[in-house]
Amino acid sequence: MKKTLVGLFGLLFLAWGIEVLAEVLRNYGPLSPTDTFQEFAGTVLQDWPTRGREFLKLAPSFKRYFLMVVLALPALFFLHFLIFGPKRFSHQGRRVPYYGAFTRVLHWTAALCFVFLLFSGLSVLFAKDLGAGSLVRTLRFVHLLAGFGFFGAVLPLFLIWWKEMLPASYDLSWFLSLGGYLSREKKPVPAGKFNAGQKLWFWLATVGGVVMFYTGFYLYRFEASVSTLRVYLIIHNALALALTAFFLVHLYMTLFAVKGAFRSMINGYKPLEEIKYLHPKFLEDSAP
Amino acid sequence: MAPGPFGPGGKEGSMGLMKFICDTERCIACNGCVVACKEGNHVPVGINRRRVITINEGQPGERSISISCMHCSDPPCMAVCPAEAIYKRDDGIVLVNKDLCIGCGYCLLACPFGAPQFPKAGPFGARGVMDKCTFCAGGPAPTFSEKEKRLYGQNRIAEGKVPLCAGMCATKALLAGDAEVISKIYAERVAKRGSGLSPKIF
Repeated sequence: MKKTLVGLFGLLFLAWGIEVLAEVLRNYGPLSPTDTFQEFAGTVLQDWPTRGREFLKLAPSFKRYFLMVVLALPALFFLHFLIFGPKRFSHQGRRVPYYGAFTRVLHWTAALCFVFLLFSGLSVLFAKDLGAGSLVRTLRFVHLLAGFGFFGAVLPLFLIWWKEMLPASYDLSWFLSLGGYLSREKKPVPAGKFNAGQKLWFWLATVGGVVMFYTGFYLYRFEASVSTLRVYLIIHNALALALTAFFLVHLYMTLFAVKGAFRSMINGYKPLEEIKYLHPKFLEDSAP
Repeated sequence: MAPGPFGPGGKEGSMGLMKFICDTERCIACNGCVVACKEGNHVPVGINRRRVITINEGQPGERSISISCMHCSDPPCMAVCPAEAIYKRDDGIVLVNKDLCIGCGYCLLACPFGAPQFPKAGPFGARGVMDKCTFCAGGPAPTFSEKEKRLYGQNRIAEGKVPLCAGMCATKALLAGDAEVISKIYAERVAKRGSGLSPKIF
């Protein structure tokens, strides 16, 4: 019995000894060129075989998505305008002060910067069609300046509006009826100073804007690892796509869907009748 | 006719594919290729078209490799470039047109080898146009013109010479030329070297 145990233990010890010897020989023995190149691949390629390949598939597809958004949305708006037409409200009655002077200045600064950002950003994606070269290089510089401008304007705008932009209980029903924009009849919709759509656009433009600023800054400076920059570029492009879509909706709403909406951001007043239908809760809130 | 370093000469349309091979058993990490490329092509300060990477430094199994643009058969940089500034010559050399490049950096994010380089050229640390290994074949500017030399460096291929880095490599670890020819040289070396160990232990 004792002999068998010692024998078993001895065998185990021998097996361990062989394993250690093999390990030592493996470490000190020569590498095959294949081993060497595999080791180099780990250092040089890093996560390219996985994340890099995904990037290769994703990055060129954004051009197509942007083209779809920029062409399809205006077509949809045109159809909507033909079918449902604009909402008209009497501009004869009492006018209610709606946007302060400082707010309007900030809004238009942000708007101007956004337009610059949009066009200069698209010029990078559509560089080939613009002839590329120094024109797009200059526009990339414009993109940087406009980015700082937008950030500077959106930050105080966020502080002014964030309270009124918090989600309310009736926002869901606004979304379910799509703000009453899918019908010709005039009916009060559940909305406070800002409706649910405006709120969504606000949060996307401010919080999304900060994400755009952060990722964009790193993409401009190129001071992060390549794998981080790949993720940043995809985030930057995807958010830009969402912002572009919402911007086009915003533009259509203010220019065509609601008559005179554009003017209220210039002079700061909204006609009482428009508020009664589109922002009825604003009257309840501000009533003494 | 014996094949020269750039494929079987004299025959039209028989041009091979230009490739680099770095023999890691020979590379001694002297960085001579990096310096030769930088000096010979007047590469701007702060960027290197070629770099030497060492693994297991100071340990058994230390190996080094010299890496630049590998002139891929299906270049990922070319696939993502929104300006279509990157193109591939018939002989497989991948080049960038600096007049078209917008410096967006997509190519660097797509490249597995980190080959594209961007000099800090503009205000606020803005990137200039992309610069990378040209296989010493100049660029799209007229061959041997002042512009080609200024933007892209030497055009040694047009002169019938090998790229500077491979030409000056002291141990001849870095091979450049027709893929068929240099892979044959490398295969012969590997076969002659063997594993370095006489009969297998296990």
